[in-house]
Amino acid sequence: MKTPFRLDQHPRRWPQPLSSPPPGYFEQLPMRVMAQVAAPAPRPLPLAWLRHAPAYVRTGLASTVLLGTFAASMWLGAPLSAPSSTATLDTVSQQQLLDYLSSGEVHVDMLDLAELPTHHLGITRQYLKPSSSELTEALDAQPTDEAGVL
Amino acid sequence: MEDHEILAKFQHPASRNLAFNQLVRKYQQKVYWHVRKMVIDHDDADDLTQDVFVKVWKNLENFRQDAQLFTWIYRIATNECLSFLQSKRRKFFLPLNDVGAELAAKVEADPAIAGDEIELRLQKAILRLPDKQRLVFNLRYYEEMPYEQMAEVTGTSVGALKASYHHAARKIEEYVTSTDNLASSPDEVD
Repeated sequence: MKTPFRLDQHPRRWPQPLSSPPPGYFEQLPMRVMAQVAAPAPRPLPLAWLRHAPAYVRTGLASTVLLGTFAASMWLGAPLSAPSSTATLDTVSQQQLLDYLSSGEVHVDMLDLAELPTHHLGITRQYLKPSSSELTEALDAQPTDEAGVL
Repeated sequence: MEDHEILAKFQHPASRNLAFNQLVRKYQQKVYWHVRKMVIDHDDADDLTQDVFVKVWKNLENFRQDAQLFTWIYRIATNECLSFLQSKRRKFFLPLNDVGAELAAKVEADPAIAGDEIELRLQKAILRLPDKQRLVFNLRYYEEMPYEQMAEVTGTSVGALKASYHHAARKIEEYVTSTDNLASSPDEVD
């Protein structure tokens, strides 16, 4: 017959029944704990405040950043602005212009000459400085059907 | 150093570290063994003991002196132990008995118990108890803590604690008796 086990009759291992921790453990534990609690708090991240910002602020900020990135990429990706026609013409000598216009390959009619001053007021003053005789000669050289336009 | 002195010194930044060091030295063994009896493994107990004191450090400023410092620390330690065991089960999808078996294996390997068959059976019987009942049993049987103090630590009524302890003691006695002359295993007898 089995003898009933009784807790109150069993020699109690006080205060604990298990093997002791490694030697010196309790001498070192306070230092280890103090090292943990005395450790400097981690420096807050520059954008750590974003975690606590309301959702609408974060959404707005994200949209702004996205749009800004898009605009910057468009601006940086765009080709350099083309030089103005006036600047381009500056590099061409007056004689070359006259030769070009008077050559038979280019047909400049009176409409071109009539519209030119309205778009580029300065260009006529800069490049077209004909004498009276030159004008007369040029007009006389025009085909007769162009005369109706004037 | 008395608790009220430790608390007073802790309030001043200049003496805060010194006061806390005294607190750790004063309570480290009680906390460690309280935790160790619950988790059995020394490394786990070491980690948890440090976690307990880190929590004490973080919350000591808000400690209301209507409770004893000792029971307040025990309460933190108890919660840490129960959370640890619960997370262990969740992490490895272990049922209650499997964690008990794992802890029993560690007890079996403990050189302090080796060769003492009755003690080994007793420890295995204790490990078969549910965590909270085991906690109550340990506080009463090994630490001889008054029920009133246990009530503060566990947040349970004295009546419920008494019933829990007596129920635990009866289960342990039955298990140790029933495993007499048998190869003991935590799952042999339910």
